[in-house]
Amino acid sequence: MLTNYLKLAVKVLARRKFFTFVSLFGISFTLAVLVLATALVDHAVAPFPPEVHQDRTLGVYFTELSGEHMRRNGGAGFKLLDGYLRDMPGVERMSIVSYPNGVYSYLNGTRIHSYVKRTDSEFWRIMRFEFVEGGPYTTGDLDAHRMVAVINEATRRKFFGGANAVGRSIEVGGQRFQVVGVVRDIPILRLVPFADVWVPYTTDRSDEYRREIVGDMMGLFLARSRADMPAISAEVASRVARVPTDDKGFDRVIAHAETLFDTAARVLTTGGDASVQAPGKRLWFVLATLALLFMLLPAVNLVNLNASRIMERASEIGVRKSFGASSRILVWQFLVENVALTLIGGAIGLAVSIWLLWLVNGSGLILYANLRLNYRIFLAGLGFAVFFGTMSGVYPAWRMSRLNPVQALKGASR
Amino acid sequence: MTRHIFKLIWHRKRANFLLITELFFSLLVLFGVGSIGVYMIENWRRPIGFSPEHLWVVNVDMRVTGNDTFTVSQVETMQRVLQAARDLPQVENVAGALLPPYFLGSSNRAYEYKGRRIEFGNNEVTDGFKDVLGLKIVQGRWFGREDDGARYLPVVINAPMAEELFPGEDPIGKNLAPEHEPGAEVHSPSPTGPVMQEQRVVGVVAAYREDGEVDGQVAQALYRKPLVDTDPSKRENRPPSTLILRMRPGTTAAFEEPLVKQLQRVAREWAFEVKPMSEMRSSMITFAVAPVAAISLVAGFLMLMVAMGLTGVLWQSVTQRTKEIGLRRAKGAERVRVQRQILGELVVMTTLAVVVAAALVAQIPLLNPLYWIEPHVYVVGFMMAAGVIYALTLLCGWYPSHMATRVEPAEALRYE
Repeated sequence: MLTNYLKLAVKVLARRKFFTFVSLFGISFTLAVLVLATALVDHAVAPFPPEVHQDRTLGVYFTELSGEHMRRNGGAGFKLLDGYLRDMPGVERMSIVSYPNGVYSYLNGTRIHSYVKRTDSEFWRIMRFEFVEGGPYTTGDLDAHRMVAVINEATRRKFFGGANAVGRSIEVGGQRFQVVGVVRDIPILRLVPFADVWVPYTTDRSDEYRREIVGDMMGLFLARSRADMPAISAEVASRVARVPTDDKGFDRVIAHAETLFDTAARVLTTGGDASVQAPGKRLWFVLATLALLFMLLPAVNLVNLNASRIMERASEIGVRKSFGASSRILVWQFLVENVALTLIGGAIGLAVSIWLLWLVNGSGLILYANLRLNYRIFLAGLGFAVFFGTMSGVYPAWRMSRLNPVQALKGASR
Repeated sequence: MTRHIFKLIWHRKRANFLLITELFFSLLVLFGVGSIGVYMIENWRRPIGFSPEHLWVVNVDMRVTGNDTFTVSQVETMQRVLQAARDLPQVENVAGALLPPYFLGSSNRAYEYKGRRIEFGNNEVTDGFKDVLGLKIVQGRWFGREDDGARYLPVVINAPMAEELFPGEDPIGKNLAPEHEPGAEVHSPSPTGPVMQEQRVVGVVAAYREDGEVDGQVAQALYRKPLVDTDPSKRENRPPSTLILRMRPGTTAAFEEPLVKQLQRVAREWAFEVKPMSEMRSSMITFAVAPVAAISLVAGFLMLMVAMGLTGVLWQSVTQRTKEIGLRRAKGAERVRVQRQILGELVVMTTLAVVVAAALVAQIPLLNPLYWIEPHVYVVGFMMAAGVIYALTLLCGWYPSHMATRVEPAEALRYE
């Protein structure tokens, strides 16, 4: 039966080429944009290497000091993480890393911009970086305040023209570091591991960071298993509630241990406000609404095209109805036809989106972007196509099935 | 004629309802893009008050813990850093500021004033700021020695802020302290809250827009950073985190590194980053324009899709109405009149969509969710959208309506 429907669909599509072209143009364009948007979201929050343990990692990314008259927002401070959040039950590893900080270097009179991230040595165990040369720095390096650095390939290219860098030294932000390892480039959208240069946090110019509750750090907590994650979140909440604020004017510290998606949601929907609860749900809602709104106009366009062609098939419907086909069967047939059409459009859209991703990667708008399709994005695209096909097919199908067979056979109005 | 057209539309209400829905959504898309476009172009054309030419920005990372805490030695170091920069032969003039122009991110304050929310950017700058940027005073005076040790905080505001806060009044001498209506006397501060000092407007500059050409913010206040005494209990003494340098014409990028080295020598624990302001300007513009360009591109494709779909639908509807058109032709209607009927129907339907969309869009300035956007932006944006949608439908209707005029009466009537 299904094959019959599809054969018929192909025949109808081949009959009026202009209509088919217009339908496919709309569908493939719509789906290409949706796939591109999905790829961007996926690129930022899915568990790509080096964040291989992302499904059981929680992070404290934002902290707020709150008082009656004042609020101070920022990343977590070193003192909060190191002094209050160590040795929690269920945590396999804990790491303290800073947000990437943009600094300059000068090489033969030209300026080189790089992002520097200060980390501990555990960072290299939670993340699985791919080293092309050398390896990470160790706890011993941290304790000895050794000026060592891991750099990415782009930085190696800028400073050493791509030649081996381990053992040589670079100057970034006015400090000189010896390179101990080189890793592959990490896209800027992956905020937690991203940097050009990674150095031990003990190499900071001053020790001021050790006294911060709100600062420029994030704490990463690798849970022993996914089941431990709620308990860790609760433990962080209860410990944070007991942290003294130090500053007069503030009476409360607010910080959450949460997943990367929740944090991305916090940034996107509230601009990083630490006091908002469960931001992940909010982001899902916002994204779904945006996708739906975006699909509305293409869907109405397709409904219009389909509805205007009902009469074209009046005789076919008339014959089928006189031979006993029920309205329900006809609705199904037309719905299947429309979904099939959307899937063809979806395939074209997918091809277009691959090209768009390639354009975005090459444009340099997103530093070290490496946008690619994967099965998650493919499934999302398939879901969008089926949803879009149903959304735009139901009404015309219903209209067609309601045609009066006598009128239809007469060729009511051609 | 119009009544007749309405009747015709009503007869095919189901198909026409769908068409009107499509036109309605297209209008909303065009309205969104149009309003953003109008907003950006208007911003672009307003004066920014300065030119980034020959200006360099030095970002100073002095490892300050919070926003409000600093030490005496930090203030003293900053005084030395400013002096060191001023002493360089390549530097014409130096100023310190909390935030440089074209900085991604801003510092804002807001008033609830006479039921309206008035938000303004605020910045803290040293006395050299006016000359380094070349700001023009139109009323009152710039900061000077007479403000040293004053019991009030001197403030210079830009002309749009003066106009918005004190329309028809003299802004000079007015008080800007928060928690009070602008211009009101400062009452005794609440026992728990921070002490509110008088913030006295001493001057008005013609224009200063911190984010430059893409800045939508109208009101801007500049507070004085005196840097004369080192008392860390006074908030205004906090060292500025940015230096703005006016370089002698002809200074090249090669001087950036020696400049950093020179400043580093004065403040060993701090970190400095130098960048020409023109570079900050271009990244600011990219940052603002890229998303708008992407949205416009998507909207353009949507309109192309709608245009093609519309052509197809109208074409189909003309072929379905061969009989009706044939009858009119047989009764002696001229070709022009037939074409006018088809296009007339289209114009009436577009007008219906425009009316519904206008009713919806009219709610935006009333609710005013984006209070910093002036209502006329929406009006112009909607008028542009309506213009485009009329042009689009007439363009799409042209060929189908022309086809309708080609209907041969004899052939059309034979089907009956």
